[in-house]
Amino acid sequence: MSIIVNNIHKGFSGTEIIKDISFEFEKGKTNLIIGQSGSGKSVLTKCIVGLYEVDSGEVIYGGENFSAMNKAERKKIRTQIGMLFQGSALFDSYSVEENVMFPLTMFSDMSKEEMLDRVNFCLKRVELENKNHLYPSELSGGMQKRVAIARAIALNPNYLFCDEPNSGLDPKTSIVIDNLIYDLTKEYDITTVIITHDMNSVMEIGENIMYIHEGENWWTGDKHSIVTTDNKEISEFVYASEFMKQLRGKLS
Amino acid sequence: MIGQAFKKPEKWSVLRKNTVLEINSIGISSLSIVALLSLFMGAVMVIQTAANIDSPIIPAYTVGFATRESILLEFSSTMICLILAGKVGSNIASEIGTMRLTEQIDALEVMGVNSINHLVLPKIVAAIFIFPFLVLLSMGLGLIGGGLIGTQTGIITLEKYIMGLQYYFDPFSIWYSLIKTLFFAFFIATIPSYFGYYVNPSGGALEVGRSGTKSVVASSMAILILNLIITYFLLL
Repeated sequence: MSIIVNNIHKGFSGTEIIKDISFEFEKGKTNLIIGQSGSGKSVLTKCIVGLYEVDSGEVIYGGENFSAMNKAERKKIRTQIGMLFQGSALFDSYSVEENVMFPLTMFSDMSKEEMLDRVNFCLKRVELENKNHLYPSELSGGMQKRVAIARAIALNPNYLFCDEPNSGLDPKTSIVIDNLIYDLTKEYDITTVIITHDMNSVMEIGENIMYIHEGENWWTGDKHSIVTTDNKEISEFVYASEFMKQLRGKLS
Repeated sequence: MIGQAFKKPEKWSVLRKNTVLEINSIGISSLSIVALLSLFMGAVMVIQTAANIDSPIIPAYTVGFATRESILLEFSSTMICLILAGKVGSNIASEIGTMRLTEQIDALEVMGVNSINHLVLPKIVAAIFIFPFLVLLSMGLGLIGGGLIGTQTGIITLEKYIMGLQYYFDPFSIWYSLIKTLFFAFFIATIPSYFGYYVNPSGGALEVGRSGTKSVVASSMAILILNLIITYFLLL
C-alpha cells in the first residue's frame, strides 16, 4: 500500500514552509526525501504522519484519505505506522525490552509470553539479542537507532518512517542502519519513507527520491539518475564538497 | 488538555501500572522531605507559641491547642502542598518537557497513543491518591515534633500538651485540610504537566528549565488562591 500526497501546503505564522508538494511513496521501496537543512523535509514528514495538520491538500494511505479522517479513524492507520525518530525517541525510563514491547502492550491482545517472543524476534532482527534489560542511556547511538527500529517494526507495520536515521552516526554504522532499513523494506514489503541529507544513504538505498528545495518538490528520480542530473541545485547538493566536484570532473 | 487527559485509557492495565509508578515517583519519594519539614515546623511552632504567651492567665495547654490548630488547618495542607508544588511540579514539568524535546511525545502520537492521557492521567490519579496520606503524615509528625521539643526543653509537660491537642477538637479540621489537599493535588499534577507538554521544543534545555520555573510559580499561585476560596466556603 503506497502513500500518496497531493498538493500539500503547510505554513507557520504566515510563512509557507511546504508549497504544493505532490508525490507517491511506493510500496516495497525505500522512498527518500532529501534536501538541504531547513528545506522542509521534517515538516513534510510530520504532515504525512499527522503530527502537523496540512493547510490544504491530502495524504492518502493505501487509498484512504488520512487528511479527512477524524482522530479515531486515524488511529487505525497509525497502528500500521512505525517511525524511527532522529534522536531515536526511546522512552528513557523503559528498558530495551519495555521500549520494544510498548506498542504491543498498547495495541495488541497478545499474552505476555507472545509479546516477549515478538520482542526477542525484533531484537534479534536488529542484532541486539540479550540486550533486553539495558536502558537507552547504556546504549551507543547506533544501538539506540536499532532499538528504535525494533520498536517501529514490533507491530508489523505497513509503513515505516525514518527521520534522519544516520544523524550522529559514523559512516560505517550509518551503512549498517541503511542496509537494515532496506532489508526490512524488502522483507516485509512495506512502504518506507526516509528523510535524509546524507549522500551515502542516497547512494546506498535511494530507490525513489524526492528532492525538496525551499518547500517545493524540485526533482524526483533514483540514485542512478541523481548523479547524472543536469539540475544545478541537485548537482550542488550531491557534489557539495570540493573533492566530490573534482571527482565529478574526472568522471565526466 | 484536561478533556484529553480524562478520555478512556487505551489499556486500563497500563494506566494502573503507570499510576503505581507515579505514586512512587511523586509520593513515596517525597516522604522524607514531608517528614523532616513537619517535625521541625511542629517544634518551631511550639517554641514560638510558648515564647509569645507570657501572661499567667493564659493556660499552658494553649501551646498544644495553638500548635494543633496551625498544623491541622494550614501548615500540613497548604504549606506542605506549596513545598510539593516546588518539588513535584518542577519534576513533572521537566520530565514531560524533556519528552517533548526528545520527540518521545511525537513517538507516542505517531503510534496512535493519546499522549496526554498516557502521561498526565496517571500523575493526576497518583497525586490525588497519595497527597492526602502525605498530609495526614505531616499532621501526625508535626504534632509529635511539637510535643518532643516542648517536653524535652521543659516548655510544657506532656499532659498539658496532650490536653491542648484535645481541647475543643473538631474533626472537621482534618476533613477541611484533606478537601483542600485534593484540589491542590489536582493542580500540582496538571499545571506542570501543561507547561511541560506545551514547551517550545526549539527552545531546547533552556525552555524546559523555564517551563519548570513557570509551572512552580503558577501552581503556587493556584494553591494560594484556592486556599482562600476553599477556606471562605468551608469555614465561614
